[in-house]
Amino acid sequence: MTAASPTFEEVRPELSAAERAAIRSARIRGVVMAALGLFALQFAIQTMDVAATFSFWVDKQGGNTFTIATQVGVLWLLAGVVTGVAGVIQLVRGPSFQWRRALLIVIPFWVAATFAGLLAGKPANVTIVFAGTLTYAAPISLGAFAGILAERSGINNIAIEGKFLMGACAASVVASVTMLALGPAANPTIGVLAGVLAAAVTGILVSLLLAWLGIRWRVDQIIAGIVINIGAVGITNFLFLRILTKQTELNTPPTVENIQVPVLSQIPILGPIAFQGSPYLYFAVIVMAAFAYMLFRTRWGLRLRASGEKPSAAGTVGIDVIKIRYRAMIVAGILAGIAGSSFSLASAGSFQMQMSAGRGFIALAAVIFGAWNPIYAFGAAMVFGFADASQALLSVLGVDVPPQLLNSIPYLVTIIVVAGVVGRVRGPAAAGQPYDQG
Amino acid sequence: MRLELRDITKRFPGVLANDRISISADRGQVLGLLGENGAGKSTLMNILSGLYKPDSGEILIDETPRTFTDPRQAIEAGIGMVHQHFQLVPVFDVVEAVALGAESVSGPLGSFDRKTARARVLELSQQYRLNVNPDAKIEDLPVGVRQRVEILKALYRKSDILVLDEPSAVLTPFETEELFGIIRGLAKDGTTIIFITHKLNEVLEVADKITVLRRGRVAGTVDPKEATRERLANLMVGRDVELTVAKGPAQPRDVVLELSDLHVRDDRGHMAVNGVALQIRAGEILALAGVQGNGQTELVEAIVGLRAVDSGDITIDGKSVTKSTPRQIADLGVAHVPEDRNRDGLIGAMTVAENFILDTYHREPYSNGIRLNRQAIDERAAVAVKDYDVRTPSIHTYAGSLSGGNQQKVVVAREFSRPVRLVIAAQPTRGLDVGSIEYIHKRMVEQRDQGAAVLIVSTELDEVLAVGDRVAVMQGGEIVGVVDGDDATYEKVGMLMGGVH
Repeated sequence: MTAASPTFEEVRPELSAAERAAIRSARIRGVVMAALGLFALQFAIQTMDVAATFSFWVDKQGGNTFTIATQVGVLWLLAGVVTGVAGVIQLVRGPSFQWRRALLIVIPFWVAATFAGLLAGKPANVTIVFAGTLTYAAPISLGAFAGILAERSGINNIAIEGKFLMGACAASVVASVTMLALGPAANPTIGVLAGVLAAAVTGILVSLLLAWLGIRWRVDQIIAGIVINIGAVGITNFLFLRILTKQTELNTPPTVENIQVPVLSQIPILGPIAFQGSPYLYFAVIVMAAFAYMLFRTRWGLRLRASGEKPSAAGTVGIDVIKIRYRAMIVAGILAGIAGSSFSLASAGSFQMQMSAGRGFIALAAVIFGAWNPIYAFGAAMVFGFADASQALLSVLGVDVPPQLLNSIPYLVTIIVVAGVVGRVRGPAAAGQPYDQG
Repeated sequence: MRLELRDITKRFPGVLANDRISISADRGQVLGLLGENGAGKSTLMNILSGLYKPDSGEILIDETPRTFTDPRQAIEAGIGMVHQHFQLVPVFDVVEAVALGAESVSGPLGSFDRKTARARVLELSQQYRLNVNPDAKIEDLPVGVRQRVEILKALYRKSDILVLDEPSAVLTPFETEELFGIIRGLAKDGTTIIFITHKLNEVLEVADKITVLRRGRVAGTVDPKEATRERLANLMVGRDVELTVAKGPAQPRDVVLELSDLHVRDDRGHMAVNGVALQIRAGEILALAGVQGNGQTELVEAIVGLRAVDSGDITIDGKSVTKSTPRQIADLGVAHVPEDRNRDGLIGAMTVAENFILDTYHREPYSNGIRLNRQAIDERAAVAVKDYDVRTPSIHTYAGSLSGGNQQKVVVAREFSRPVRLVIAAQPTRGLDVGSIEYIHKRMVEQRDQGAAVLIVSTELDEVLAVGDRVAVMQGGEIVGVVDGDDATYEKVGMLMGGVH
């Protein structure tokens, strides 16, 4: 190169402050990823002699097993290599690197390695974790659909937690009472259906209260939602302490049995994970598919989205925005109420105080993480469901971590996901804004 | 179809918005509806579109009386609205935005039949040469195209009567010409058109008949062939109006505001101001023309310290203020009349007196550092109200309840009460009545003559040409031309605004 020819640095056009910042943060990201990769390799060296055993049930839960045996170090090695490669690519490609997508590949390796490391040689049954993931995901996803439905119509629906609790309580009591009335010989399915119906009706009532406060009285929907959530805790605690603890027969509902999906449940390994599960799971999947189609492909969906994005555009062409919002809230109430019934009818077998334990708020996180799209939200619910299932398994196996810390895993995952991994997703523009018709 | 409104009266609490208004337009006729803000145009339009119900009076379409209780009925009667603030869902594509509310559906679930809708949008777009891409997302379209989408929306519903509310407010002069072409074409094909505006030139150019509204009443109906700007202005305001601003020649002295290679980003991170260099001298008014959304807002916010500068420099009297706070900048003698007076200019829920001291509340005599001195505040307000002719029931009236013109006088009075070296006025007369406009302009010229440098940002060509000693045109974040006031003509500045340079 002669002295006269410009160097690469010189011909590069001047960069703005924001572009420089993007390059800087890309560099930092790359260095951090590469360093984490090295860390993982360090772990790998230390844990090469620790066994990692993962087993799957092949035909049915509790049946024959298929086992993968390796070392924890091998998993760390894989995690380290993948992370390191991602870090190097990040450094080379700069800001144009799709690092969020890369994380989707990197994170499962870390999760598997951490999991194995925590178990420290104890064999783990993966079918339980994955099937548990789906079971836990079902109510979260239904709650997320309720949130998406409401927000797409223009109402901030943070009262999902309240609907879960009220739904759980109503389902348990009504299912119990129905069975008492029908006598011991009656088919327990009738009791379950009565409980689910009661949960749906309760969900509608709570939903309508929020809608009425927000639409008719223009109460700030966030505040109204908080009040409803607190109210739900108060009412259900009162019912539980004053009535249900004394008359336990009112809180012994029939439980929901798992369903064997014809044909599909016979698939080895996959069958026990996905097709021998709770009816709530299949309900959630069906709702997801139907809702996604309705939202993006039908007239109803078009009008719903218009109401949540720019209600005046809908109003000026003669669409009744208020009616759309009320209807959306009714359906959202049904979904959240039914999801609530799963806590008392499927999981615990009775209603307990505050048994939804913040799952309604995790459902809200799934709304955001899922970018207000039912299909993505279901994926998000599975991430949170996995956190729940892992926590359950680790507690059962008694790993060397304080239980309080284990219990906080689902919430930690929620915070990390919502704060860190989610990029700038944009919700419905008019969510939370009251609309004046004419 | 022939449209007639007969003796429409609409009363709101305390206001008679429409007082026995009668207007009519024949098939294929363009009726220009001219009036100031508050003359009752919007109320009339909302009655016509079914959003308001008139207290009395009749709407006749082809001599048949019709009543509308909601927008759907007005649409079914063949009335299509193009609202001033576009009623399009930003995240929809053109087909969805146009079809919304009149969707073609198929199947038991009511699936949106996009194919049929798209074909119809395409057909209408070609038939009327609207040149709209049916698959484009609304938020990616320039405003001129969005307006054509609004027109498409009306045509899609087979509207025979098209009402356009201030359609040129956001358009470049070139786009406005295009719009007039479309309007003439539609009228020729038999569409009846109501064109609502406050711009004299536009009604004279495009209307077949002009009805002028004033304070809720019809002030007169004239034939544009016989009308003049002066006659229309007189009807609109009720007295003779000075259409030019009385001012002597500018006597520019030393440079007060200097911008060099200024880059500023908008809220979404896009470069809104892209390398602006500009000088304004003491004793001159620089009018900055341009269509809304070409970086003027961000430029003004950067100058007064409300928005971070990406790169480049701003100096006032030779002192760099690029990193100064709004208060530091105000203390250098900068008076700022913001674009959105209700958001940035005053606090509607505070009294007139309190609004006068928003900039000086922390100083003697208005406060001693802890307590406000109410007496000093009230005395100050009493003087300002008198000096600036603010029509308010009392200095303790909430500023939000004043008329737009009086609110703007409060803002101007406050900003001009400090020693003024530089005036930054963004859209200072938007939405004001003619009397207030004249008053504000007079005060701006007064500041200039007392030696201040004045920057007036405006989207109204008439205003730019009337007050500017020099006219700069901003387009796409850049200054595309600076013209001397004497050379600045409608055509020249208009061409620069439209990006022809």
